[in-house]
Amino acid sequence: MADLAKADIKSLGRAVGLELEEPLLTEVTYNLNALRELLDEVNPSALDQVEPLPIIPPHERSPHAER
Amino acid sequence: MQNADLPFLSATALGELIRKKEISPVEATAAFLERIDAIDGTLHSYITVCREEAMRAAHEAEQAIAHGEWRGPLHGVPYAVKDQFWTKGIRTTGGSRLLADFIPSDDATVVTRLQAAGAILLGKLNMSEFATGNSVHHPFGTPRNPWDLERNAGTSSSGSGAATAACLCATSLGEDTGGSIRNPANNCGLVGLRPTWGLVSRYGMMAACWSMDIGGPISRTVEDCAVTLQAIAGYDPHDSYTENRPVPNFRAALIQDVRGIRIGVVKEAVDAEFVHPQVKAAVAQAVADLQWQGASVDEISIPLMTSAAAVTRAILAVESASLHHNWLKTRLHEYDHNVQIDFLTGAIMPAQLYYKAQKLRALTRQQVFAALQQVDVLALPSSSEPAPLLPQGTGLKSKDEARQRMSGRRSLTGVFNLANVPALSVPCGFVSVGGKELPIGLQLAGRLFDDGLLLRVAHAYEQATSWHTRRPPIS
Repeated sequence: MADLAKADIKSLGRAVGLELEEPLLTEVTYNLNALRELLDEVNPSALDQVEPLPIIPPHERSPHAER
Repeated sequence: MQNADLPFLSATALGELIRKKEISPVEATAAFLERIDAIDGTLHSYITVCREEAMRAAHEAEQAIAHGEWRGPLHGVPYAVKDQFWTKGIRTTGGSRLLADFIPSDDATVVTRLQAAGAILLGKLNMSEFATGNSVHHPFGTPRNPWDLERNAGTSSSGSGAATAACLCATSLGEDTGGSIRNPANNCGLVGLRPTWGLVSRYGMMAACWSMDIGGPISRTVEDCAVTLQAIAGYDPHDSYTENRPVPNFRAALIQDVRGIRIGVVKEAVDAEFVHPQVKAAVAQAVADLQWQGASVDEISIPLMTSAAAVTRAILAVESASLHHNWLKTRLHEYDHNVQIDFLTGAIMPAQLYYKAQKLRALTRQQVFAALQQVDVLALPSSSEPAPLLPQGTGLKSKDEARQRMSGRRSLTGVFNLANVPALSVPCGFVSVGGKELPIGLQLAGRLFDDGLLLRVAHAYEQATSWHTRRPPIS
């Protein structure tokens, strides 16, 4: 995955009403590219079989998960 | 016993002397305030000391106990809370200059409950700005580790770790989104419990990440931790995600018997190159001690543990940024530099990246639950190392540096925040660094609402060792 350029980061900022300027722009670029890279490296086979639920859905609350 | 010695007692020992009227809550509170005056100019563990309020509450406790109205083991016992918890009429900053003058009109539920238990609030404890964990500059003084003043007390509940280790309160509360209770416990040689999400109310606790935040005790002993948890746990109509179920007697669970308990040592943590060899050795010895006491031990795998730090960071960044969106537009430069970077990253993160992080969270949770089908308790290091040196500079110099911040030790704790299960750190040894002895911790994690079992196992281990009896070299 290619890194985002600073111009890309600036555009993402504008999309949410934030004007990113130096020196923050460079560091936010490092930070977001690092996070993109780290998450891009993780691709377990079951990823498409789960829903993105932040808290525990009822069907997962089996007696084994809970005491 | 001299009054100056009272702060060195455990909270439960102090509470017992108060119950027996051998010590007055007024004497105890005054002794802690004197110690804060003597030491905290160096440690910066407190942001606000509630001197007058504490002495008034201590007099009320003294009167109540004299009239036979003893409320329980924390009645008259001085405690302190991270400055993330609202306190009615008392400044609550979140460790940020943006809230330097914020005075809440209500108490956090956990504060209300500790007051109902008769505990005496000494003050509000220092912390990383808005509990993000990465801030470097602390507007109310840099909290320092009492084991080595040049080292980090642990983030983000830094003041809770420093004050409790230095005996500037009998017990304390921290808050844990990605490890912020267990990391100070590790760095300061304390017992810290991140409770099951839903066991303790979040009402009146400044949010960092709604689905991972939870408050919990940081104490000097497991028994103190159990007693503090007892006071704050349980359903709260102000927090709809607290579970309406009976709260077990956590202190009664401390039966010093681990026979038949199945402990799983997390393979990915043992194999991790980023974990200090002496930390690995200490955790292995701790597990062997528990095995000698009758627990069975197996190795267990949680493959996604290694990516937990990045997943936690992605979710935290987006959710924190959404909470601060207006101030990011109008008061950006009032935040710590590193917090600006984290919040701006969260504010612009593409939705698909956040969506993937949430899916990875769901899978991680499934793996943790699967591991806990095979064993009762998971064991691993609380951190990869003892307390690191305080950071000297801010800012990111490269993408690689950013990667390092989002991996490594934070995976060891973040994995259980993603799963919402309880996790605890208990002292398991010391590592000698630069001539200083620095504490390290054994982390235990368990099933949902099985917090009592973690306390039981930790107590059995603690009572068979002497790590918890050591005090930092600060007088």
